[in-house]
Amino acid sequence: MVLLQIAEPGAAPEHTPERKLALGIDLGTTNSLVAYVEDGTVLVLRDDEGAACLPSVVHYGAEGVLVGKPAEALALTAPKDTIASAKRYLGRDAAEIGETDYVDLEEGRLAFVTSQGSVTPVEVAAALLGTLRERAEAAVSLPISGVVITVPAYFDDAQRLATRQAAELSGLNVLRLLNEPTAAAVAYGLDSREEGVVAVYDLGGGTFDISILRLERGVFEVLATGGDSRLGGDDFDKQLVNVLTEEGGLGGLDPSQARHLLQQARAAKEALTDADEVTVALDSVVPGAASVTVSRAQFNERCAQLLERSLAACRQCLADAGVAGVDQVVLVGGSTRMPIIAEVVGEVFGRKPLDTIDPDQVVAMGAARQADLLVGNRDAEDLLLLDVIPLSLGVETYGGLVERIVPRNTTIPVARAQEFTTARDGQTGLVVHVVQGERERVEDCRSLATFELKGIPSMVAGAARIEVTFQVDADGLLEVTAREATTNAAAHVVVKPAFGLDDDEIAAMLRAGYEHAGDDMRARQLTEARVEAEQLIAGIESALAADGDLLDEKERHHLQAATMQLGAAAEGTDIEQLREAIEVTGEASATFAARRMDRSIKDALGGVALDALAGDSEL
Amino acid sequence: MPVAIEGLPTISRDYFELFQLPVDFDLDLDELAGRFRALQRKFHPDRFASQGVGERRAAAQLSADINSGYRILGDPVARAGFMLERLGRDLKALEREPVEGSFLMRQMELREALRALETSDAETRAEVVAEARALMDEAVAGFRAAISNDDLTTAGGFYVQLLYLKKLHTEVAITGEPV
Repeated sequence: MVLLQIAEPGAAPEHTPERKLALGIDLGTTNSLVAYVEDGTVLVLRDDEGAACLPSVVHYGAEGVLVGKPAEALALTAPKDTIASAKRYLGRDAAEIGETDYVDLEEGRLAFVTSQGSVTPVEVAAALLGTLRERAEAAVSLPISGVVITVPAYFDDAQRLATRQAAELSGLNVLRLLNEPTAAAVAYGLDSREEGVVAVYDLGGGTFDISILRLERGVFEVLATGGDSRLGGDDFDKQLVNVLTEEGGLGGLDPSQARHLLQQARAAKEALTDADEVTVALDSVVPGAASVTVSRAQFNERCAQLLERSLAACRQCLADAGVAGVDQVVLVGGSTRMPIIAEVVGEVFGRKPLDTIDPDQVVAMGAARQADLLVGNRDAEDLLLLDVIPLSLGVETYGGLVERIVPRNTTIPVARAQEFTTARDGQTGLVVHVVQGERERVEDCRSLATFELKGIPSMVAGAARIEVTFQVDADGLLEVTAREATTNAAAHVVVKPAFGLDDDEIAAMLRAGYEHAGDDMRARQLTEARVEAEQLIAGIESALAADGDLLDEKERHHLQAATMQLGAAAEGTDIEQLREAIEVTGEASATFAARRMDRSIKDALGGVALDALAGDSEL
Repeated sequence: MPVAIEGLPTISRDYFELFQLPVDFDLDLDELAGRFRALQRKFHPDRFASQGVGERRAAAQLSADINSGYRILGDPVARAGFMLERLGRDLKALEREPVEGSFLMRQMELREALRALETSDAETRAEVVAEARALMDEAVAGFRAAISNDDLTTAGGFYVQLLYLKKLHTEVAITGEPV
């Protein structure tokens, strides 16, 4: 005889405290890395030859696509088919780049012309991410639950979205985009566990970031961030290229020779880390050219302006953070190996910089820590990151001026609103132009999106009240809503990069990928969606049992109906329908979740009950 | 093209309640920071990253409210405005009301003096900075006294003075002369 199993009402089904695997990826301009946490230790994954760094180079030759070292090896012989530093072009348009090597596709979109056809920077980044993903899949047995990808703190909204798109294209589930200096601070913070104020100076191949953070009681708060998205190690290489060109009397180099000279300059820069001077044999670049000797002092002098640009950003960041000084300085990025960097940065902050973690690996290691936290692994350290938006967000107003709505260095997530009105009598539509940047005039800021609010009732100028709300999520991505108060006419836009790929294109590319990968991928995705649905249903049932009194009868029915439909969808095999049901149910439970969170605020504050609060309810 | 309307948008929740703090203009900033961290540790969207979309959305909203509350309660001028608003005062209407003539004169003189700071000697400079501080302290004290006596009209007047002074401080900070 089979006894009926009776479940405790509302008790969540027992989930085995299974470890989840999440990756941290440093998608760099020059090199990319992947790391993960195992038994509380961060492991940086290496290729078959033991190298942690994957050169961020992709070769699109007639015979096929190559990624990393084999691609880099072809940079000299096939420069046009070999894309390096693609990160510099992510989320940008052709006009901003202004180089002739690239074609301008329809809508002004930037793409590289290769033997494989036009390739967008997003696709190049996706190829790099895909290679890192394969590296991870070969090394671990668990499925990958998600990834944290790092971006320069100074990346604007369009650049962040382009990075997300690249991940989507490579089949990775992005848990979070994390600012590179913040990731580095996490790696150091968890290493030393020292509380206090930390400055992170991050000079990568193509970008420079400076961030100031405070670590206190397990909360890492970014106080201010700044930088220069057009300053990186590449610029220092160029200074050396200039020295070599001038002193070696070189001129009119073809693309292959130019690349060769750049490689020589890079090698010379690296040699100058330890040596006081280096002699570069230029006859391998141009036969017959004389050798040139460059001293470290000479190199430092040529780079003085670049250094000053980064130091000015440091001083501004200190002022923005509102701190008198810092307790620690951390150097990140391979370019900080140049001895002059530690010297000048140490002077500005009055502290000798820390360099105990490999500057090439520290960002990926911090990202892996954060990824482990986000998938909820039990052994993960109890640490919370509070990041900020790097650049102010606003809208264009009369006269081409910018009305700032969310100032830079505002902690995210954030929701901020501002009221606007019409300029003309009888105006029924309003164009909302969303911009990002610090300048007063629209043309000096980056244009993110434009949308129109229609259906404003005809009134005299200045009578309409239009509330524009900016919401920035924890990834630093923006959503904008405009609403007219008297009619409730609303328009809503999720900011999309004007020069990236649109959703349909991504969907098409993903479909092509599935066909290629066969049914395995689909089966895996269906399983994942079913697990998500089961967890969602179990969560709602236990929440209803615990706090069901927070809902009225109608709300309760609505939620239960959505849950039942979700249960039915999970029985089927239609993955799109299941995902839709997950979304609908989640949506239906958001208000309930919000009320439950409000109820637990007292618990969060240690149950502090204040007499002064009693009877005080004027709001 | 949109035209901006001056003033703050209407608030959505009682931040004193959110932070479980007594409604009092004088608050301990360290205590506030501690409560801010405790709330974010519990409700930040990162804590719900592997949960359902409902929880994630609710957490994002609550976390944004906690950030706003921390910013508003942490800044004396914003805190003053919030205290008036939660008692039903319309801040936009308040900002349109005329300001007391003697205050206007003093702050205009101060503005001139601050503009001339670059060319003035150390003694004058110290005097001007002291005057700016004194004006701010007076307005704060005035607001504190009025609000604790439930005198919203007087409190509103001091709040508008605070707004003027804050603007003055920001302008001066831009020209590189900290007050």
